[in-house]
Amino acid sequence: MGTVKKGKFKIEPFKHAVKMDPNYGEKTWKILEDAIQEINNHNASGLSFEELYRNAYNMVINKFGDRLYSGLVDTITRHLESIAQRVEATQGDGFLRELKLRWTNHNKSMQMIRDILMYMDRIYVKHQHKACVQDLGLELWRDCVLRQPSIKPRLLATLLGLVRRERGGEVIDRSLMRASTLMLVDLGLPVYVEEFERPFLQATKEFYMVEAQEWMTTCDCPEFLRRAERRLGEETDRVHAYLDSSTEAKVTRVVESTLIGQQKRALAEMEHSGLIPLIQQDKLEDLGRMYSLYRRVEGGAELMRQMMGDHLRETGKQLVLDPERTKDPVEFTERLLAEKDKYDKIVRGACCGDRAFQNAVNSSFEAFLNLCPRAPEYLSLFMDDRLKRGLKGASEDDVDSTLDAAMVLFRFLQEKDLFEKYYKQHLAKRLLSGRTVSDDAERSVLIRLKTECGYQFTSKLESMFTDIKTSTDTMRAYKAKRPPSAPPSEASTSGAGSSEVDLSVQVLTTGSWPTPNAQKCTLPRELEAVCDDFRHFYLRTHSGRKLAWQTNMGHADLKAEFGDRKHELNVSTYQMCILLLFNNADQLAYRDIAAMTNIPHADLQRSLQSLALVKGRNVLRKEPMGKEVEETDVFHFNEAFTSKFYKVKIGTVSAQKESEPEKQETRLKVEEDRKPQIEAAIVRIMKARRTLDHNSVIAEVTRQLAPRFLPAPALIKKRIESLIEREFLERDLHDRKLYRYLA
Amino acid sequence: MSAFVKLISSDGFEFTVDRKAACVSNTIKQMLSADGNFMENTSGEVRFPEIPAVILERVCQYFYYKLQYQNTPAKAIPAFALPPEQALELLKAANYLDT
Repeated sequence: MGTVKKGKFKIEPFKHAVKMDPNYGEKTWKILEDAIQEINNHNASGLSFEELYRNAYNMVINKFGDRLYSGLVDTITRHLESIAQRVEATQGDGFLRELKLRWTNHNKSMQMIRDILMYMDRIYVKHQHKACVQDLGLELWRDCVLRQPSIKPRLLATLLGLVRRERGGEVIDRSLMRASTLMLVDLGLPVYVEEFERPFLQATKEFYMVEAQEWMTTCDCPEFLRRAERRLGEETDRVHAYLDSSTEAKVTRVVESTLIGQQKRALAEMEHSGLIPLIQQDKLEDLGRMYSLYRRVEGGAELMRQMMGDHLRETGKQLVLDPERTKDPVEFTERLLAEKDKYDKIVRGACCGDRAFQNAVNSSFEAFLNLCPRAPEYLSLFMDDRLKRGLKGASEDDVDSTLDAAMVLFRFLQEKDLFEKYYKQHLAKRLLSGRTVSDDAERSVLIRLKTECGYQFTSKLESMFTDIKTSTDTMRAYKAKRPPSAPPSEASTSGAGSSEVDLSVQVLTTGSWPTPNAQKCTLPRELEAVCDDFRHFYLRTHSGRKLAWQTNMGHADLKAEFGDRKHELNVSTYQMCILLLFNNADQLAYRDIAAMTNIPHADLQRSLQSLALVKGRNVLRKEPMGKEVEETDVFHFNEAFTSKFYKVKIGTVSAQKESEPEKQETRLKVEEDRKPQIEAAIVRIMKARRTLDHNSVIAEVTRQLAPRFLPAPALIKKRIESLIEREFLERDLHDRKLYRYLA
Repeated sequence: MSAFVKLISSDGFEFTVDRKAACVSNTIKQMLSADGNFMENTSGEVRFPEIPAVILERVCQYFYYKLQYQNTPAKAIPAFALPPEQALELLKAANYLDT
């Protein structure tokens, strides 16, 4: 009522009751009933809306609403019952079509009936809380037609049959299917779920169970997955085409769990085509499909991840423990990097970079890499190789990517301090022999290590660089003062000819460099003089310092004459000492050489080996001939030496990787270095906590040192005991497991 | 479809109004637009055997009044003149027409 009212009205009730025809209700209803029947028979054109509306209106107004409503229910019910019979009577394929037609007509009729009974809907239905005409129509259809024992199972069977035929590859009338499911949905989602969806899902499950069984026997894993993927696509497509969208998730879940979920283990473990073979063959596409399917089922991704991790761990283990493979450190590391690269590609390419997968790969790597005790050494050797040779001429990007890859492996190492030790050694060799290819690359390694492990880790490495730089400056100053004819030597020596020696010295800070304090060998006299000269020069500017010559690190260029052939020999300081002895003698026994030079045994052997036994570099001749240098051997100056080149580089036969005893020694040293670190950590912790129980101390220390190495609990315990002895800590009087910090 | 419809009162007066205006009444709107082909829908005429011309005229005035002001803020709407003696009849008509 939108009319605007003005003022107040008093509406009085009628003083006398309106007389009403007692048969009014029945008469009016008769009119309406006839009209409804006409409408149901599609014969409404002769009817007056106004008249019907007015009649319904008057019935409601005059309290015949009940009569009107119940009459409507009766009429519709009777109508629908006859419809149901007619639907039942249809044969075969006509069934759905007939049902659809009847449904459409019913809807149309109900709409018209609703229109003329609009007033009833508005007033009577609302007040009595009954179903409105529209809903009434649906309810009656549901009860009188759909749920008839002769119709319900037939409808279901027909629908499921059509779906089955379509799954089998036949083309079906999708629009008819669509109409049928729409009808069910219109009758309310619960009806749809109960009458169709639930049995449909059940049938789907059974269908795919059978299919999965069949595929398992006929297909390999990638083919199975391909088919499963296609099936999933089909099911989604089917839902879009003629099912309610709410079914999509459900049917997908059913198919996933039936095809993948139940078969996931069997599939992944298929002998020649399962997950592992796919990984081995780098089948990224198949792996990607597997991942996208597996992640959809519960536990699928986990299974895949676990299998992948285990496999990687297993192959990695074989790789690092295979003595053949671990012979060449560079190749070993390259293999590791290749492996890492392969798995990164798989994770990135097939698993969308899934974090969990990446973590699984990383932890597998960490697990097997640390199985190999020499991994830190090998990694350092690899980087040494790259920095010495491999990166020559490589672009900046290449350098970066190689170093990044190496750093990735580095991150996996638990014994980072061991790596540091080796890296320091190798770096020292590189710096002293001037063999580093690119200063930038060296520095970028340092920066990487620093970001990875902090300043402490690299401070010594950095001071090595500084030493080299200062040495260059010192040498410049020294040479400027000296006339070029003057000679001398040290860590690095360039001796030319017999009298003029061109010395180049690198002054190293003790402690920053890994050089073992090797005993000094006896230098030839002419060199001693030059060395002393330099010492005086150096101490004049840096008084109070002590210079110790590291003769085991240097190298020299010698000019030598073999008959009428002249060559320049590039040798180590030791070798130079040996060769200079031959200026005065043509033949020397091993023992004599050792006595005259004071070169340590192992080094002497090695130096002689490379002087006498390498083809094309054999400036000395050994008697008797043999592969090994024995103490009884005698060496001759090899006058018959020839070479294509004027310059001959005689490398030391230095075992690239450490020999067993050396390795033990390094390990011992590292272990010795660890002790103060562990102690420092304990003290730090105890200082902060004052009192703490044993297990917490162990845990805390392990956590603090994890970036450097993994201390064994027994080792920590020993350090604690040592600290107690030295009265840094004490045990609690009452609780022996508790430690107190003594300030 | 014509833009006008004819509304016929119980005493035979015909009011030709815009279809749009007539549709202010939900009842008339349904009559004219219902899917079923009722008489009114085909002829564009609606007879009201229970509404006299004097009331129907007022109703038609209201249709236009409503159409004109339906989007105007309440304050700016002038009052709709309404003789008190017609109030009850109008009320009934309004209920009937669902206006």
